[in-house]
Amino acid sequence: MSAGQTAKASPDRTGSWYEASARTRVRLLLDPGSFEEFIGPEQREISPHLKVFGLPEQFDDGIVVGRGLLDGAPVFVAAQEGRFMGGAFGEVHGAKLTGLLRAARDLKSISVLLLLDTGGVRLQEANAGELAIAEIMRAVIEARTAGVKVVGLIGGRSGCYGGGGLIAGCCSALAVSEQGRIAVSGPEVIETNRGVEEFDSRDRALVWRTMGGKHRRLLGGAELFSDDTVQGFRDAALDLLGSVADFGLDTLKAEQARLEDRLQRFGACPDAIDIWTAEGIADAASVPALPADQFIALADQVRRTSRDAR
Amino acid sequence: MQTAIAGAATSTRTSWRQGRDARDARLAAAVSLAKGKIVAASDATGLLEAVIRPGDRVCLEGDNQKQADLLSSALLAVDLAKVSGLHMVQSGVVLPEHLDLFERGVAKRLDYAYSGPQSARIATMLFGGKIELGAVHTYLELFARYFIDLTPNVALIAAVSADREGNLYTGPNTEDTPTVVEATAFKDGIVIAQVNEIIDRVPRVDIPGDRVHFVVQADKPFFVEPLFTRDPAAITESQILTAMLAIKGIYAPYGVKRLNHGIGFNTAAIELLLPTYGEKLGLKGKVASHFALNPHPALIPAIESGWVEQIHSFGSEVGMDEYIRARPDVYFTGPDGSLRSNRAFSQVAGLYACDMFIGSTLQIDLQGNSSTVTTSRIAGFGGAPNMGSDARGRRHPSEPWLQAGKEADPDGLAPLRRGRKLVVQIGETFGDKNAPLFVEQLDALALAEKLKLELAPVMIYGDDVTHIVTEEGIANLLLCRDASEREQAIRGVAGYTAVGRARDAAMVGRLRERGVIRRPEDLGIDPFDADRSMLAARSIKDLVHWSGGLYAPPSKFRNW
Repeated sequence: MSAGQTAKASPDRTGSWYEASARTRVRLLLDPGSFEEFIGPEQREISPHLKVFGLPEQFDDGIVVGRGLLDGAPVFVAAQEGRFMGGAFGEVHGAKLTGLLRAARDLKSISVLLLLDTGGVRLQEANAGELAIAEIMRAVIEARTAGVKVVGLIGGRSGCYGGGGLIAGCCSALAVSEQGRIAVSGPEVIETNRGVEEFDSRDRALVWRTMGGKHRRLLGGAELFSDDTVQGFRDAALDLLGSVADFGLDTLKAEQARLEDRLQRFGACPDAIDIWTAEGIADAASVPALPADQFIALADQVRRTSRDAR
Repeated sequence: MQTAIAGAATSTRTSWRQGRDARDARLAAAVSLAKGKIVAASDATGLLEAVIRPGDRVCLEGDNQKQADLLSSALLAVDLAKVSGLHMVQSGVVLPEHLDLFERGVAKRLDYAYSGPQSARIATMLFGGKIELGAVHTYLELFARYFIDLTPNVALIAAVSADREGNLYTGPNTEDTPTVVEATAFKDGIVIAQVNEIIDRVPRVDIPGDRVHFVVQADKPFFVEPLFTRDPAAITESQILTAMLAIKGIYAPYGVKRLNHGIGFNTAAIELLLPTYGEKLGLKGKVASHFALNPHPALIPAIESGWVEQIHSFGSEVGMDEYIRARPDVYFTGPDGSLRSNRAFSQVAGLYACDMFIGSTLQIDLQGNSSTVTTSRIAGFGGAPNMGSDARGRRHPSEPWLQAGKEADPDGLAPLRRGRKLVVQIGETFGDKNAPLFVEQLDALALAEKLKLELAPVMIYGDDVTHIVTEEGIANLLLCRDASEREQAIRGVAGYTAVGRARDAAMVGRLRERGVIRRPEDLGIDPFDADRSMLAARSIKDLVHWSGGLYAPPSKFRNW
């Protein structure tokens, strides 16, 4: 990559979000050349725990945080690297995100984009990781209370599981692609604890229609569905930043009502396909195979998730 | 003439049809269980007890992919007083039941070719004396022995459907069936088929009914394993680099049109680079047009881009049926439209009509011998040794074959010089779990010692290997003139493995000057260009799109 390319030329955003590294996602998502990293890899803030287990470290501990411009407006950005330790939260990794969110809280006016790509907490530093999740959730809520919009973009290799799923639930709004999966317990965890009859983790079609981006969009868990391109996620981020409502007690009440309604309507459905059918989708079984544009049209037709809730 | 008559006159033999009489007696013993040729699934064990004698040679069709699972369960349940001590002669030992037969004493002796998922247990049972091993074969060898000294008395086979005369439709996964039936039925053996359904008229006759004695309808379709699907999402950038090296450094200069690919991720990367990188190099129509190959889903983009003229297949692949049916110009299909595979013919095609085999392996030693054996597993050979060997009986010339022969023997008289098949081993210097690809001594040797085998299980012998490709470059062993050059050429592409670090740097430098070793930069390849964005498909779903929705991947490969 030459310097000339980054500075001026309009970047190629047609590439796959899923395939891109955290750094590539950040670089291409933001306005060209606008990204400024905090605590970058040159500072070598590595995990103090992984060495004990003989595991390789990364100089950024698997997360890129900083600020930049999105269509000219300043934003804070955090991007997890799903290919390092499955994007899992450790002590340093978590602290970088907490710090970014607290800065947003204090400044009040700069929105935050969370490029989540995580399997949850690192088992090797589980206590620190769990504490980090709690701190991050609190920091998200404090930032939102202070008037900051926190938008999650989910479409990476590791999905958004464990504590990542909890953090996603605290965001102002989410955009997800088909490849993105959002849940707390992962497929293998459910199968291990509840048996293969409850959930067959090797049935990948089942995994995707239960946790995947399309289902999350149809269920209202994610506000927007994006094609698996950087441009798709950039458009979704701009859309959400422009439309998210203010956060307050009314938002929480609306969210509570939305969730109660959801449970009442779909609580008895054994499979996602039953939910989609109940939503009035004629050929629900065909949903997983739909191309992105057709799915977005369908989802918009079925239900435009309320922007007043969350 | 006179001696012949004298010989006949002095024969001590009372009958020349003892085999046929014995078979007829066995058939008679089973007649009460059958309506015509049809036997109920609940009577399958009784049928086997009636027709199998202790010590018989039995082929229980276990192919690479297709399994006669109902008949294997039925055989496992026989009364040991009636059936025991069998000699199993089958290509695949794949199902747990295949080995349970030996635990129970139904079977005693084993000759086979491939044991993928059972490779650890088979080693344990051999070591514990539960199995008396004849030999581990390649497919072609075992098939050959069916006609010489391992002819089955009884063959238990699997087909998709049968009619009431016993005509069988074996469907896309025909695999070994015609060979097994040929050897058994024409030498007084008994053929029993399990079928998914019995219908009035089979879609096509793969096995004529007069070679089939009994048909058992199974309650569920026979098991087929998807063995040849490689998810493009799992292909790494170093695999892409090795694939670029192979295409530019071997496919292009030799002009390899007729070939076989192994099933690893490196060759999947090659398949997915043909329509992108290969196109950029201007190779379309010049390389990789005729294959002996299973229907690899990863080849779909190359087929759709017009690279591939035809493919003959050993077996089929789960999910590819509709795609194959829609592309009869490329695949061998029957009048019903579905794939006709045939392992024996495709193996012969790979051996004699292909100019190159390229595949990955687990271990390569300093002589270039390679093995997929680790100390605790005997996976068998399957087809790779036949694909990956020079056919000494080959007589037709072709450009790649002649060029390889010339490189090996530049001073020989051209009309008397043998050509050489290109046998290429491709892999990364460190493989799965960071195990080094290159070793001073193959684990296969330790295993042979432990199990007291006369031959160490070597997949491809060093004298057949012509090229080794790693992310460090290509070693052209054809250009090596003695054993020490060969060793240093191998060490020269072994990177940071212990074998690689022990190289003689000066000699490796000289080999590079001669083009014996070629680094990525020698070929004008920048390793930083090896990016996943070069793959024509980066996910299984991309393959579905390339196929126009015709490829229907099994659920375990989906991420939607």
